[in-house]
Amino acid sequence: MSATATAFGAQVPQPVQHGKPGGIMRRLNFGTGLIGGLGLAAIAAVVTNAFIPSGAASSVNYAPIAPQLVYLAALLGWVIGFMAGMGAFIGPIRWLMGRDLTHADAEYMAGKDLGKARYWKFTTDHKVVGIQYLIMVMIILGFGGLLAMLIRTELGVTWAEVFTPSFYNSIIGTHGIAMIIGMIIVVMGPIANFIMPIMIGARDMAFPRLNALSLWLLAAAVPCLISSLFLGGIQDGWSVYQPLASQGPPGMLGYQMTIIVFAISTGVASVNVMTTILTMRAKGMTWSRTPILVFGVFAAALMGLYAFPFYQYSQILALSDRIFSTSFFKPLEGGSVWLYENLFWLLGHPEVYVILIPSTALMLELLPVFYRKPLFSFNFAVAGIVGVVALSGLVWAHHMYMTGWAPAVNYPFMLSTEMISIPVGFLVLVVLGTMWRGVVWTRLPIMAVYAVIFNKMIGGVTGIYLSDVPADQYFHGSMFVVAHFHFMLMGVGLFGAMGGIAFYFPKMTGRMLNERSGSIGLWTAFVGFQITFMSMFVAGLQGQPRRVLQFDDLFNISNWISTIGAYIIGVGMLIFLGAIISSWKYGDIAPSNPWGSKSLEWQTPTPVPLDNFAVLPVVTERPYNYGVPDPYEKEMREHDGDLMTKVGAK
Amino acid sequence: MTATDVRPDPDGPETPTNRPPSMHRVKNWIRRPYARGIMVLTVVIGFLLLPLCWLLLAAMNQTGAPASPIMRDIEQTVFVFTLVSIPICAFVFAVLVYSLLGWKHVKGDQVPKDESPAIRSNTIGVVLWTVVSSALAFFLVVWGLIELAQITANSYGTIPADEQPADSQALIVNVTGQQWVWTFEYPQYDKITSETLYLEKDRPVYFNVTSKDVIHNFWAVELGVKIDANPGAITQTGVTPDKAGTFNVRCAELCGLHHAYMETQIQVLDKGSFNSWAREMGGSKTS
Repeated sequence: MSATATAFGAQVPQPVQHGKPGGIMRRLNFGTGLIGGLGLAAIAAVVTNAFIPSGAASSVNYAPIAPQLVYLAALLGWVIGFMAGMGAFIGPIRWLMGRDLTHADAEYMAGKDLGKARYWKFTTDHKVVGIQYLIMVMIILGFGGLLAMLIRTELGVTWAEVFTPSFYNSIIGTHGIAMIIGMIIVVMGPIANFIMPIMIGARDMAFPRLNALSLWLLAAAVPCLISSLFLGGIQDGWSVYQPLASQGPPGMLGYQMTIIVFAISTGVASVNVMTTILTMRAKGMTWSRTPILVFGVFAAALMGLYAFPFYQYSQILALSDRIFSTSFFKPLEGGSVWLYENLFWLLGHPEVYVILIPSTALMLELLPVFYRKPLFSFNFAVAGIVGVVALSGLVWAHHMYMTGWAPAVNYPFMLSTEMISIPVGFLVLVVLGTMWRGVVWTRLPIMAVYAVIFNKMIGGVTGIYLSDVPADQYFHGSMFVVAHFHFMLMGVGLFGAMGGIAFYFPKMTGRMLNERSGSIGLWTAFVGFQITFMSMFVAGLQGQPRRVLQFDDLFNISNWISTIGAYIIGVGMLIFLGAIISSWKYGDIAPSNPWGSKSLEWQTPTPVPLDNFAVLPVVTERPYNYGVPDPYEKEMREHDGDLMTKVGAK
Repeated sequence: MTATDVRPDPDGPETPTNRPPSMHRVKNWIRRPYARGIMVLTVVIGFLLLPLCWLLLAAMNQTGAPASPIMRDIEQTVFVFTLVSIPICAFVFAVLVYSLLGWKHVKGDQVPKDESPAIRSNTIGVVLWTVVSSALAFFLVVWGLIELAQITANSYGTIPADEQPADSQALIVNVTGQQWVWTFEYPQYDKITSETLYLEKDRPVYFNVTSKDVIHNFWAVELGVKIDANPGAITQTGVTPDKAGTFNVRCAELCGLHHAYMETQIQVLDKGSFNSWAREMGGSKTS
């Protein structure tokens, strides 16, 4: 036990090294994960099938129960087998055997000297996890985007049914949940994992293995979702209201499993992010010296931590209704559909802020760099974020104004919902104040910020209509709602994330994102976005309900325009994706600080070394120290002084 | 841009008066070129956006709305909210435009020199923004609460089904949603049923809404009535149609395969035609 290892110049006593560094982890990777997952899924399916009496029927919809149980067993087998095959359970097993990790083991798990192979393993380095998240996000958003194109195709072809109603309903639901998952992690995955620890001057996240666990749980959840498409799909929208969902085909189980696993992944990631931010900021990085993005990420983690359990419970209860014939949500057996709606929206509304706040904070992070100005009123920005977090849990029932659940609570919920516009207004003020009299350096990331603010205004104003019960009485459940939340989630969330990815691309990949093709992609998508969703607002005003497959001739024109716009978005996004892929491979080699930023993450060399900082940094000043003293202010002071003396003299 | 170009009078500050210095500051501020530029842009963009107030309503009125006081309240709310939002949007868009075109911008790969003014905060700006945005939010909330109280009154609150007098002046309609049709039952007229909603002009109507299977949403579009039809529960609302004509009922909650086709029509008839329709259907008025 006398072995020691040298870490950052200190001699650290080490436990006994068993075998080569990494031990069994050396043999495990994505391939063994797939083998484990598919193998266990197959075994579980066969065993379950053997134990079910033939002809057993579900008490819910009198459908044969065998396919459901077999599918459920296969899903469980897949998740457990995949995680085991990836090596997620090796840590606990090691502890049980009393074998602690040595320094060499930990370095192996962080992917030291593994080259590209580390991206296919249960790697603990936050930078590797960030890149893995980026790839995963692009896959999920691409999948969701493809479904969006199918939906718009169906709605654009007004003279025929392109898809069967059941397939159409299932692509609506799958598009919804895939995009929600993708948007939740689009900033919180790649940027919060890769950039945030460096930004606060840490060497890694607080719990590196939990970090890898959250990523691979997500990787286990997504195939559950995709598999459901082949078993009837999710035909009830992403909100899967009961009791419609209980009528659904076995595909619903795929959704429920996805949510249960994804909620674990989010919880693990949230705890990790919050602990990292609370305990691992560099020396001297007080709260007023912490960059605003860190506040945004913390806020999102906090909201995710309290909101996702509601979602998970609701799906566990729904699963239990379906498999074990309980009656939490079956109204005719004493359950309540309103219970489901409340549980669902207790997630549903904080969740949109989980998407919006990191994107907005990212935007605030970009502004000072490209205007060469400090962030306007840092305290106000923090107050805005705190305000949104504080109100996020008090507004859920505005999704339920028209459900008849409790008409009297519409009054307080209208009040709390409209109050959200005040902290959101703070964030807008911070943006405008930072732009105020600045000299903008017109690069791709800052152009995305312009797009975001435009969208945020449209989305925000239409949100005020929806928060108001009388107006919502017309707009609830119409295409107006769809257009509104796409303006917020896509217009702010996704365009903000595109700007952020363009901004951090040089640090993450070591190459510059091609500005020309990236900008063409961004603006094409932006124009298409306006065409699609502006005309969708019109369809909503005309009275088109959402989630319909066919509609009156009245709505034809706005839907045709909307579909054309959607194809333009598709082209724009493909160009942007092409820019990312080609720049990643062939782009110009990036200097370590191409934007001349003053924050910590840009002071590290590119590519960032395994431990980020050879010597941990000490922070001595506020962030965003750009700019020169304000000439007007000097003038004003002199002028006022002048006046004061003259007026006083008189 | 140096400090001296913006002075209106290069010879120095204007002759001192008894006005407090803050007024000079405001005057001085307004004389800055960007302040004027943004104000002009705000007004221009504001007027360009102004037609939206009517365009939104025009889109809503294509099929004959408003056909009830509730719908009129809804449209009034939409109009007022649009009107209130326009100045804010116009200001924000003006700053966006001015920041690209008015204040300088630089291009190229080189990191620009730090030459923007380091404005870390501005007390007047922050206070003004907070006060104005809170005041607007307060106005919207108050407006919303008043309108909500009004439409609740116009939809006859939520009178439980067993307390609605069968002989009341109001028409009672029991609305039942099921996959994927609406059924309307008239308990005062020998419980006749219809798949088209027949209403009498200027006569209040109570809807008792329920569902046989999953959640539907009863949306009488041009009447501004919307409420969920929940299985195992009755939700209530009401309206007074005040315009004769043919209007639409749509289902506004995804209810399965043929959700899109779950729509029907509303016929708002005058008193005579309504009674003769009811007689034709075999329902003599019980009261």
